[in-house]
Order: sequence, then structure tokens, then C-alpha cells
Amino acid sequence: MKRSGLVVLIVLILSIKGHAQGRGGAQGGRPPTPKAAAPFDMTGYWVSIVTEDWRWRMFPNKGDYGGIPLNPEGRRTADAWDPAKDEAAGEQCKSYGAPSIMRVPGRLQITWQDDQTLKIETDAGRQTRLFRFAAEGSKGGDLQGLSRAEWELNGPGLGFAIAGGGVRGGGSLKVMTTNVRPGYLRRNGVPYSANAKLTEYFDLVKETNGDTYLVLTSTVEDPTYLAQPWITAVHFKKQADASGWNPTACVVR
Amino acid sequence: MRTITFSIVLVALFAFSLTLFGQVSAPSPGVGIPLGPLVSGTDFSGSYRWLNHQDAGLFTAAGDIADWGGIPLNDAARLYALSWPASRQTVKQQQCMGYIPPYTWMSPGNHRIWEERDPATQRLVAIHYWGQIAQVDRTIYMDGRPHPPAYAPHTFPGFSTGKFEENILTITTTHIKRGWIRANGVPQSDAATVTEHLIRHGDVVTVFSVVNDPVYLSEPMSKTSLVVRQAIAPDAWLYACDDSEQILGRKNDYVPSHLFGQNPFALEYAEKNKLSLLGAFGGRETIYPEFLGAVKDTAAAEAAAKAKMLPSGPQQNSRAPDPTPNDGNIHVFHVAGSVYLLAGDGANIAVQVGPQGAMVVDTGAGKLSEKVIAEIAKLSSKPIQFIVNTSFHSDHVGGNKKLQAVGADPSLTGSFFSNQFADAGQGATILGQQNVQTRMQEQKPPMEAPPSDTYLEDRRRKYHNEEAVEIFPMPNAITDGDSVVHFRRSDVIVTGDIFTTTQYPFIDLKNGGSLQGEIRALNFILDRTVYRNDEDGGTLIIPGHGRVTNEWEVAEYRDMLVIIRDRVQAMLKNGASLEQVKAARPTADFDPRFGATTGPWTTDAFIEAVYVSLKNPPRSAN
Repeated sequence: MKRSGLVVLIVLILSIKGHAQGRGGAQGGRPPTPKAAAPFDMTGYWVSIVTEDWRWRMFPNKGDYGGIPLNPEGRRTADAWDPAKDEAAGEQCKSYGAPSIMRVPGRLQITWQDDQTLKIETDAGRQTRLFRFAAEGSKGGDLQGLSRAEWELNGPGLGFAIAGGGVRGGGSLKVMTTNVRPGYLRRNGVPYSANAKLTEYFDLVKETNGDTYLVLTSTVEDPTYLAQPWITAVHFKKQADASGWNPTACVVR
Repeated sequence: MRTITFSIVLVALFAFSLTLFGQVSAPSPGVGIPLGPLVSGTDFSGSYRWLNHQDAGLFTAAGDIADWGGIPLNDAARLYALSWPASRQTVKQQQCMGYIPPYTWMSPGNHRIWEERDPATQRLVAIHYWGQIAQVDRTIYMDGRPHPPAYAPHTFPGFSTGKFEENILTITTTHIKRGWIRANGVPQSDAATVTEHLIRHGDVVTVFSVVNDPVYLSEPMSKTSLVVRQAIAPDAWLYACDDSEQILGRKNDYVPSHLFGQNPFALEYAEKNKLSLLGAFGGRETIYPEFLGAVKDTAAAEAAAKAKMLPSGPQQNSRAPDPTPNDGNIHVFHVAGSVYLLAGDGANIAVQVGPQGAMVVDTGAGKLSEKVIAEIAKLSSKPIQFIVNTSFHSDHVGGNKKLQAVGADPSLTGSFFSNQFADAGQGATILGQQNVQTRMQEQKPPMEAPPSDTYLEDRRRKYHNEEAVEIFPMPNAITDGDSVVHFRRSDVIVTGDIFTTTQYPFIDLKNGGSLQGEIRALNFILDRTVYRNDEDGGTLIIPGHGRVTNEWEVAEYRDMLVIIRDRVQAMLKNGASLEQVKAARPTADFDPRFGATTGPWTTDAFIEAVYVSLKNPPRSAN
């Protein structure tokens, strides 16, 4: 009898798994490509709405690291920041790396580079991030590092399977970035190291008036300079077209 | 045989589960009874704290004066904020002001979220939220119920309904009181509606909110806040706020404020943080990336910022929706205890019912009197016994004749009045301050059915329908014949036009009104009110026009009038003419809420009433 119950449970769990494969799932065939499996469409032009951390994103001052849980070494390094040195060294883009670029005021253009790679281009600093769903690709080591992406799809739970009802679905884009070149969390020399690990969740929100927003929740872990993970969120508003797209070079100050 | 049977069961079970998964539509609600979803998208239950990794300067729930960059506030909101000193919080009713959504997510205390499920069906009826600071008690209804009508009271948490949109909980909130976008002076008006989207990733919940405020925002304000789940629930959940005397000897018509252009701290934050003042002053342009380029010409930006410290541009009309139903029907709303609001025929009508005949306060414009009578008959099987007029204005007494005619006052029949008047007790008895009778009779032609039972200076008391009712004359407020009525057991005060939620007070100078009397009357009302907690609940107020409130809105109205009075008074001291006062727009920060450039009571007419009241104060003001 116990064995029978176990078998029933396994059948149910298998059935759940089968149904949790997301939109565009190929029943019984090859799994859908990440592009086909996307629970929402992120492509298009987006503008950052700077209502969080306004002071630090718009006009950061040296030594103003409020909110960032720096450890003593992080504070010492931030206090020693010399923007002139960065300029002289041609390092104008150090605050445009993966851990910070999404908080820089600007616009994004998001496209699928191919079925396995989502591409985000920024007009501020003319950066390109590649979110790779497949294992192959870059090893990182540059400002944008290596970004592994996956869809976190909302499958129904076991109780849902037994009882039915309700509506599930959708999901988030999860991106984990490592192998970054050291840079700045803000445009004021607050550092992150090559050990920094960035985890990002992208979610899509639609308002009843038709406005569409991309909400990004990020966690930066960096044992070199942070006493604890730095968790923040920003959001972008969908644009109908490329208006306002204004590629500009990196600036130090 | 057992194996075959078991296999059949398995196949059937699998097929059944497939069928279930094919049903992705929402569960059908039961007939007449809204049901919440059986299974939620995400379980947010738990205790949380605000994560101050962003907007860290706001962790104490305030921020510096003029730290408004990234807020799409409009010119009126900026002027409001520039005139707000932190010492405003010493005003009694401001001390325990509640927190509103979405600002409450940034409060530094603890937050708790839990589900309420119907024990019989396990349907999700509601999600509850408790915020420690100001003890914010929110219920987010998940059962599909409608929002209350526009004339229902507002609260600081507002009225919220929710639904799961895949993995996101979307909450829509209306009926929110005036509160803070940011508690350093930037207001969120009571016309605002808020949408919040809760997104959970592990222990972190991202609250993405959008505030639509037609009064104080140039465009919707979207913003994220973060709360993080606490593994062990803390013990601190209460706020325990009681207002108290903070400055002894202060008069109750003193409200701290800065005159326009004279806030001594306006530049401090920008200077201290080496910011563009134009940016620190906020506005829709500051939320977009282009703003970085807009301030490159620092001199021009500085000049543009300083220009924003004074009113400019054309006078604004109210952008708050009128809560009064104008659909030709009378709408009945239970206010508290034995008191009801009847809205839809001019001024608000209050009806108190019980074992005796109804007591009616004001009778409306008289255009829908038959419907008013029909609705009162549903509330009380007895004839209307008393009518109280709070004013002689036609939108308050227009139904007197018809409502009186269907009433009766059995307290007179058989009394000595029967010896003097053959019709004693026939029809309802109409009460009012003597000047209501006088003014109604003075009109050409005289207005019908004036009060026959009048009073002069002292309160009238009645014990009617098993509660004490007090009627207080309020000299030289809107007119020289105003009254407020307090139903003590129900704890409802009917204010007449001394307080409305729809316009500046209609100070009728020709008929004895004055600004001083108006402020005094509002303070009188505030001396009789209590709140339940954090300026919510307690004594409820039926205004002359607009929605039901409690003392908070009355205090806000009083504060507004005192602030405007002080601005006009300062100009008068400098010898300003009426035209100069009007041109200076002393009401600019309140106009998108109460202003009117056309109609029977314009902003200019109100400013004139203020000006004349101050220049020629009534004797009662001394």
C-alpha cells in the first residue's frame, strides 16, 4: 500500500514537471530554445526611471557611499579614489561594468543576439551585456564579465496538481555574472573586485494604462570590499521606439 | 489482477491531472459570493524589514528639506513642500499622522504579511499587512469585492484589492488620505491611487509601486522599495502614538509654515551635497537620464531652480474628482451608529434613526426630495420628527418644505403648543440658528419652510433616538447662522459648509461669514473629535459637501486656511492691494486640490473673502 502511494506521488510529480516546461514548450520533442521559452518579451527600448538612489546615481560625490555595506577595505579604497588617475589611465568606464551599469541613468536596447543569447546595449557608456543561456561562450574577464542566464518559470506546485484551480505561469529572468574586471559600484570610486558575483532577477510589470516596466532586483556579493551582499532594485519603462537613444562615451565625473 | 487495477488507476489519475492542468482559467466565483483564488501565486507570509541599501538617506523615514530629486512632483507640490517646516509636526493632529502606501514600505520598523483563508474552502480571502510604524493595518482583499463609493471615508492605509498576475501580487489601493510621497514635505494627495506589485525572490521582496496623483504629481511616480524577510520575527510591532501638548501656550490657530520664497533651509541640502539645486527641487524632468545634460549650464539651472520657489503660471483648477454622485439618485451610506449619509441632492444630508422619528440634518437642494423621502422611509418607519438646518443656503434647505410635510413631531401634539397652534405637531419641526430663519425670510421671494424652532448663542440639546444630540451655533463662519450637529453616541459630527472636501470654504461675507469665524469653527469641531489610532477612525465627520472623513481632513483644512491667512496677512502688512494679493497666488499649493477658476465659488472669490475678512475683521473675531 505504501508502495502504491509512492508510485502515485511519482506520477503526479512527473506530470507536474511535464507541465512546468513553460511557454512554447515542445511536447515530447527537443526543449524550446530560451528565446522561444521566454515567459515575457524583454526586447525593445527601455529608459531608466531614476527614482531610487537619485543623488547617488545622478550626482555621486567622492566618499558618498551611503547604503553600500562596504567593509573597512572598501571604504579605504573608495576614499582614496582619484578620478584624474582614471582619466589619465584611460579607465573612464570602470563604473560601467556589470555590477553598476544598470543603475547608470540611460536607455537600454534589448535584442536576441541568437536563440541562446539575450543582448543588452546601453547608450550610457556604450556597453554591451550578453546573457548567455548556453554553457559555451565568453570566459569573461572584461567589465561585463560572464553572464549565465536562465528563465525561472513558475510551475504549479504539488497542491496545485492535486486540487487544481488558480492560475500560475510567468516567471523571471535570472542572470548570474562572474569573472568581471574590477570596477566601481558608483560613479565615485566605490569599488568592487574581480571576486564580485552579481545575481539579477528581471521581472516584467504591466500597468492598466498600458505602461510596461522592467523591474530589476540585483545582489552584489564581493568579499573583498563588501561586508554583506548589496541588494538593490531599479526599473525601466518601455519605450515605443528609440527616442532619446543617445550613445555617449564613459565619463569619470 | 491487483496490478492491472492499480495501473488503470494510475492512468486515470495521470489523465485527470492533465485535465486539471489544461484548466488555466481562474476559478469561477460562486453565485453572489466572491471567492479568492484557491492557490496563490507566491506566498509572501512572513515578517520583513526595510532594506536600506538604496535610498539610504531616507532611512529615518524623512530625508532632508529639499531632497526631492527623482520625484515627479508638480509646481504646487514643490510650493507645498517648501512651505512645510518640520515643526508642523508639533501641531496636535499632525503628531500621530499615519503612513500611507507606498511610503509605508520605507518605514524603518517591522513589516508583517499573512494570509487569511476561508477555513471551509481554503480560498484566499485576503492578505494582511501590518507595518509597525504608525501601526499600519492593511487588508488586501483577494475575493474580488468592489472598492467603496467615492463618498466613503479615506484611511491612511486606504482600501486595497489584490490579484496574482503570474508570480506577481498586484495591489490596487484607493481611498487613501493625504500623506507623504516623502516625509520631508512632499505631499501625496487624497486623490491619489496606488498600484503595488510585489515580487519575491528568495527572502527579498521587491515592491514596485506606481502612484497616480492628479493633484501633486506631473506624471505617475514609479519606484521600487526592498524588504527582506526576517528568519526570526522580532518583538517590536507597536507604535504607541498619542498626541500631546508640545508647546505650551500656543493658540490653536497657529500652524507653522514658511512664506513663499522664505524657507531658510531650501538651499541647504543641495549645497551640502554639491548637487544641482534644480535637481534637488525635483520635478518630472529629474527622473530621466536627460536631466544630467540639463544642468550642465549651472548658472541657468540655479536661476531656474530659484524661480520655482515662488508661484508662477496660471491659476490651477482642482484636479481631485468630486465624490458627490450626480446621477439623479440618492445614495445612502451608513456612517456610524444610527447616522446615515444621503448624497446626491446638493449639500449632504445626514439622517439619524431609531425608535423615534428620524432627525434629518439639512434637506439638500430640493430637486430630488421625493427620492430623499423614499430613502429615509427605508431607514425609519416613523415620520421625520426633526430637521436641523446648518445654513440658510439653498442647497441645504431646498428640501425643507417637502421633508417637513411628510413628517410629524409627536412631542408637540397634546402639549401646550396645541392650545396655541392648531397644527402643532403636524409636520417635522425645523430647527436652526435664528439667522437662518431671518435670512430665509429676507429673500425675495422668501424661502419656504424656514426653521420655526431657533436658538441664538447657546447650544441646543436633545436626547433623541436614544442618543444625545448637540447643536452648536458657529458665529460668523460661512454665514452668521451656521450650526454643527454632534450625534454623541454615534460620534458623528455634521459640519455643514464649515467643512467640505470639495472646495475652499464658501465664506459668505454678505451674510456674515468671515475667515476668522471659519477657522474658529473648525477648531471647535477639532476640540470635540477623537481618533482611534494614528489619526484614523474615531469621530466621523459628514461635511457640507464631499466625502465622509474623520478629524484628519478637518485639521488639514484648518491648517490650510491658517497658512493662507498668514500669507495674506503678511502681504497686508506690507500694504498689498487685493489685486496684488491675488497676483501673488497665496493659494497656489492648494489650488490643484480645491481651486476653481470658474463656477459659483472661484479661488479669486475665496482670496477676496480672506482679504476682506482680514482687513475688516468681524466683531466676533476680537
